[in-house]
Amino acid sequence: MLPWVYGFSWETGQIVFLTIFYSVVGILIASCGLAAVRALRDLKSKNLDGIRWHVDFNDLGDFARTCRHVFTGDVSDRICPNGFDCRTCRFHREFAATKIAAGEATAGMAPDREMSRGLRMPLDRLYHRGHTWVRKEADGTLTVGLDEFGKRVLRNGASAELPRAGSMLTVNGKGWFLLKDGSRIRVLSPVDGKVVETGGPGSRFYLRVAPPDDRDLRHLLNGEEIRPWITREIERLQMALASEEVGIDLADGGELVEDLTMNYPDADWDGVWREIFLEP
Amino acid sequence: MDRHLVARGAQRAPFRRFALWIAPWAVMLVLGAYAIYLCLSKGLNQTNMDNRFAFGLWIFLDLSIIALGAGAFFTGFLVYIMKRHELRAVLSSAVVLGFICYSGAILILMVDVGQPLRAWFTFWHPNVHSMLTEVTFCITCYLTVLAIEYAPILMKNRKLKDIPAFLVFEFELHKVMPILAGVGTFLSFFHQGSLGGLYGVLQGRPFAFREGIGIWPTTFFLFIVSAVAAGPSFILLTTWLVSKISGKRLVTDNVSRLLARISGILLIVYVLLKSVDTLGWLNKTVPEFGLSGMSFFLWAPFNVWILFLEVVVFGLVPALLLLAGNKQLRVGWLVFSSFLVCCGILLNRFVMTIQTLSLPTLPFDKFMLYSPSWQEVAAFLFVVAYGVIVYSLSFRYLRLFPQEAGAIRLQGD
Repeated sequence: MLPWVYGFSWETGQIVFLTIFYSVVGILIASCGLAAVRALRDLKSKNLDGIRWHVDFNDLGDFARTCRHVFTGDVSDRICPNGFDCRTCRFHREFAATKIAAGEATAGMAPDREMSRGLRMPLDRLYHRGHTWVRKEADGTLTVGLDEFGKRVLRNGASAELPRAGSMLTVNGKGWFLLKDGSRIRVLSPVDGKVVETGGPGSRFYLRVAPPDDRDLRHLLNGEEIRPWITREIERLQMALASEEVGIDLADGGELVEDLTMNYPDADWDGVWREIFLEP
Repeated sequence: MDRHLVARGAQRAPFRRFALWIAPWAVMLVLGAYAIYLCLSKGLNQTNMDNRFAFGLWIFLDLSIIALGAGAFFTGFLVYIMKRHELRAVLSSAVVLGFICYSGAILILMVDVGQPLRAWFTFWHPNVHSMLTEVTFCITCYLTVLAIEYAPILMKNRKLKDIPAFLVFEFELHKVMPILAGVGTFLSFFHQGSLGGLYGVLQGRPFAFREGIGIWPTTFFLFIVSAVAAGPSFILLTTWLVSKISGKRLVTDNVSRLLARISGILLIVYVLLKSVDTLGWLNKTVPEFGLSGMSFFLWAPFNVWILFLEVVVFGLVPALLLLAGNKQLRVGWLVFSSFLVCCGILLNRFVMTIQTLSLPTLPFDKFMLYSPSWQEVAAFLFVVAYGVIVYSLSFRYLRLFPQEAGAIRLQGD
């Protein structure tokens, strides 16, 4: 094993064998050591939210990670590779440029388009895939709230654990927590910026945020994307609620009932909420 | 009761039913632990092995589960090195199975060594000219690799994931997984081969002895190819079994068919190599010993049928079914073929271990049959029970099949 250990001899077979063995052990120790050192560095850094989102996003099913351009029929099938951050996506940039060139616009859509499968999703705001909305205010701030789908899934009795005014938010980082029936559900922040005011479940909004000067909201859904997105979200909810024996048993084309939790008392609601709010 | 620990989106049986499932295996585990205690405290006289039959049930078990556990390294190789990402659907399960197989093999080897407190001698004073030394080093290192690969799966448990230290370590470990998959592949190739080489170099046992390339007899290569052929079949078979027992659809059909196709291709290669090797052994190696090849098949129950069963029934037939029927046959047939493949690998390892030692080698030798003692059987069952319990716990509390939650939607694929 080692030159001073009984039985060791400086012969080719011994040297080759032990060199290979020590190399393998060295690679294993180095790989784990590297992972441990990086993990310590990550713990000290302030990027824990980013890592959590990266891990969660990769754990989501393919259906949940569908690219927004599938909703509008730009492509037939595509999985988002960017953690829903379209700001850095070349694919999204190219499609957006094509649409602008073609003169397609979403402004001035009829009010009835605000209804998506019985859910009111006003078109004066932008939507995040984690079921929050963002509205640009006249003073330059952004108000953030929970969309109708998110509210319907949680229904009554949810309280919120909101960040303090002055806290910094990052896109897809921790926005706030919803507390219901012993579950603590993380809601993703749809925007970057500093929290200037907080609301809550009983208020018009949850957060008011002062975005950075170079604010970029291209990652948020809007206009024509909303209705197909909600349709798919209802399918995702059906999947999360489906019993093993029966499969998906909500009628296609139906609307969400007012209080889902009452209608599915035996469901693993903690699992359902986390699935819907993208925390698998 | 334990719902907060079950993976989100996964529906599992009530805890009471799970406990009832575990109970008989736990009893078997306790009985096996007692047998192991007897072997360790009183010595190997508790077994029916002797100087003639130095390899018995335990070595057969070791060889078999190491061969079946090859699915772990081979799936890792296919996912991380060959970029067959669709096999991620079974990767975690393969890692858990590999970990169970290798840890079970090492555990039973510790008992088989007789003096486990001196097991470290093999590392400290290695005989580098022995195939067994290579096997010992490789399976120890590979078990370490599997333990490292198992760690991120564990750390993804619903509760553990909430602990930041586990979250970031799991995240960073994932980045080095391709390196570990490469190391695992390297180690597996060598120890699978060396296990075969172990028999091929036995000049005093003409039934097992083989010529080859350089220092490596043909059994070195045959063991590698047979293990990588059986690995995907074992993954397919276990996935189907778990699916039936749990009543859940765990993977989509295209994953099962891909595993079947890979296994089929490799099995055809194996059957071809095995046939050439057998013919070469019958017509060249054995005559050079001054013996007739067929003389080894005169001793019941090891007549020529066993060769036919191994090569044709458990080799050629499933290979053709897996390959030719890959697209046409129902998944059930592919699972049945995989079952035959796994039987084939067990029979091959049985023949190499037991038939080799049973046959007389000297004029005054007698044909011997060996039957294991109850302690050997109980220790064998200990490993089986250990495997079932570890896998059951992993399946219940960890996300072994990422397609499980979404598979319902895909019914009818």
